[in-house]
Amino acid sequence: MADILEITGLSFRYPDSPKKAVSDFSLSVPEEEIVVLAGPSGCGKSTLLRTVNGLIPHMYTGEYSGNVKVGGVEVKESTMRDLAQKVGFLFQNPENQIFMFTVERDIAFGLENLGVPRAEMRDRVDEAMRLLEIGDLALRAPHELSDGQKQRVALAGVLAMKPRLVILDEPTSLLDPRTAAELVDLVGRLRRELGTTFVVVEHRLDLLVKVADRIVVMNEGRKALEGTPEAVLFGDEAEAYGVTIPSVTRLQKMLAADGRLPLTGLLSPAELARALEGERR
Amino acid sequence: MIEFRDVSYVHQNGVKALDGVSLRIGSAEIVAIVGENGAGKTTLVKHVTGLLKPATGDVVVDGQDTRKTSTAALSRKVGVAFQNPDHQLFSESVEEEMSFALKNFGFAPELVEQRVRWGLELFGLEEYRKSSPLVLSGGEKKRLTLACILAWDPEVVILDEPTVGQDSIQKEKLAGTIRMLTSSGKTVVLVSHDIEFLWPMQPRVVVMKGGKILGDGPAPELMQDKRILEAARVAQPQLVEFGECLRERPEVPFADPLEARRWVEKSSR
Amino acid sequence: MMWLSGGFIFRRGTSVYHRLDPRAKLLVSVLMFATTLLVRSLYELAGVLAFMIAVSAVAMVLKRVARTMLFTAGFSVVIFVLNFVFTRNLETSLLYAARFVAIVVSTSLFFITTSPDELEQVMKTFRLPRDVVFAFVTAVRFIPVMFLDTIQIMDAQKSRGLELEKGNVLKRVRNMIPILIPLVVNSVVRSGELAEAMESRAYGAVPKPTSLVVYRTRTTDKLVAVAAVVLFVLTAYSFYFVFPAQIL
Repeated sequence: MADILEITGLSFRYPDSPKKAVSDFSLSVPEEEIVVLAGPSGCGKSTLLRTVNGLIPHMYTGEYSGNVKVGGVEVKESTMRDLAQKVGFLFQNPENQIFMFTVERDIAFGLENLGVPRAEMRDRVDEAMRLLEIGDLALRAPHELSDGQKQRVALAGVLAMKPRLVILDEPTSLLDPRTAAELVDLVGRLRRELGTTFVVVEHRLDLLVKVADRIVVMNEGRKALEGTPEAVLFGDEAEAYGVTIPSVTRLQKMLAADGRLPLTGLLSPAELARALEGERR
Repeated sequence: MIEFRDVSYVHQNGVKALDGVSLRIGSAEIVAIVGENGAGKTTLVKHVTGLLKPATGDVVVDGQDTRKTSTAALSRKVGVAFQNPDHQLFSESVEEEMSFALKNFGFAPELVEQRVRWGLELFGLEEYRKSSPLVLSGGEKKRLTLACILAWDPEVVILDEPTVGQDSIQKEKLAGTIRMLTSSGKTVVLVSHDIEFLWPMQPRVVVMKGGKILGDGPAPELMQDKRILEAARVAQPQLVEFGECLRERPEVPFADPLEARRWVEKSSR
Repeated sequence: MMWLSGGFIFRRGTSVYHRLDPRAKLLVSVLMFATTLLVRSLYELAGVLAFMIAVSAVAMVLKRVARTMLFTAGFSVVIFVLNFVFTRNLETSLLYAARFVAIVVSTSLFFITTSPDELEQVMKTFRLPRDVVFAFVTAVRFIPVMFLDTIQIMDAQKSRGLELEKGNVLKRVRNMIPILIPLVVNSVVRSGELAEAMESRAYGAVPKPTSLVVYRTRTTDKLVAVAAVVLFVLTAYSFYFVFPAQIL
């Protein structure tokens, strides 16, 4: 399968900033992959995301070098209209991306902007609501919804555009752990059902480990680490970049260092206990 | 120090945010309030400084009824760090921002200068002294709001979701600050979803759901009570779950990975 | 502060009035407003206010309207005093003060029964440019959000020792700065985020966007509109020709 996202040697500097926000960054993401982007605050994650969906360079100008290709087409040569149909962006604050007073109308917002005919719009809105299981919220107003519900509405609005790549910017920050876990399951399900590729920026890696295919860690605008969740979390460098290693994984690493257990894969607490008992027999 | 006597509170839309809550928090305690969104945690916090007044029952802070005392006066003793720093930063410089509360509370100018310097140093913000607080990064803003509160030296510090959006380095620093506060005799109340952050501190845990307190006790006890955790939709710390899955459960659940490793070492001999 | 929200923020309702075409609701409010301007005696004004109360009752928003009336009456005392100082006429002063209340209520009635979506529909009917309509409707949609933000900001600053209830006028105005600055800053940040979200969902891609929802005018709406106009004409006529000229 071709790469849906190809970033080559990308550098970007905002006009009033002395240093580059993104520096010589390269990344290839094949279709249907779920990539997690992590790194300390100020590492350039937000800027990078905006070069993918086109806000940079179409809305924000600056010193831009390198290439970003989505579906084989250069972002800087595409219009926002085309990009909006290829790349969906779920911003961090669900409130500030819901425009309409009614849920279903907001989900249709992008489609209205594209001039999609009413009948097709209706179908796509209903489909998006079905995927996110928010059909019963269709006529509600945004301020009547919880944060988790607002987020689903915003995501429905993004999915209605049928993008092939979806960017999620810190989607779990406002959610409690259970709701966050539900969101992660949802992302996994959407990938399976729709074949969508996801790039997720997150601090809470322990939640995403279940579905992530790859973790990329950024630092000071550059790519610092890249690898499978196991490779990154079992490695020694991640912590230096502010990546939170789950407690059970830290324990697993310690036990492996003691020679009690081979490092075969990321284990859940229950699995680690069983593995340990298995080894001790 | 803080006492809730059978407190109930109803929102404007009719939802009962607090339902017969009784709670006592003393000095030099570290308390974690956990529960899903909507359980009433933030409502509880707002009652402590009188931002909300109970519909029934009383809230008494250091002997004063919150209905009869101003929020400003109560805040002198109980510093609350709200979740969103953007709801309070407004000054032209970081040092002005830090002196705002101190001036409101009537600190003398020399003392204000002293406290500002102390706070900036403690949180590593000296280089930003003259900068506008609005240009700081998210993490720096959070540190600044905490510095502002500690500057007036309240006896109780309440932190509402302090770890949201923070990376592991920032969380370590925060944990260190909390340890420093409790060791100097202050009470720290943490409202947080981040069970993994709370667990190593072994705080007293108050579990809330639907405006009620489902459980109140030491962390090891409560984090093993599956019934309460299920009901409140609160996750169990990974190390507790690990301990429970072992054939020979440890007497006391492991507070951190080192403890767990030592236990494994001992039990394999 | 709270009365502002009670007076002008839309809340969903199920009454017959709520379900009217927003253009009919606008017409009713505009005619109420116009009638108020034509009033020349306290009796006539009392009649207009009674009518407004009746409509509010039908719309099931009586409690909110009554509260708005009360709070506006408080403000209108200033108008009364100023008028009285200059004209020394009790009746005229009272009339001007009471007219202010009626004007506010007629406007309030429209806004509390009309959702931002309906406002959009009305503005589109007047063929206003798309960007203007969008900006206005988005602003209205965020009024409840900004209201909540203000409360949270006030909570945060009160927790830093800010006393909003104390002090003379000058001090109280100064104390608003820690509230206003975060509010303004947040609004600016919000606008930036909204702009990003709009761009990301292809706003402006097509000169004539389509619409998910269609609004149809029912017979009831047309009847109400006609009835409102007829009533207005009759009332205006009676003010000028049936009852002798009064105070004004």
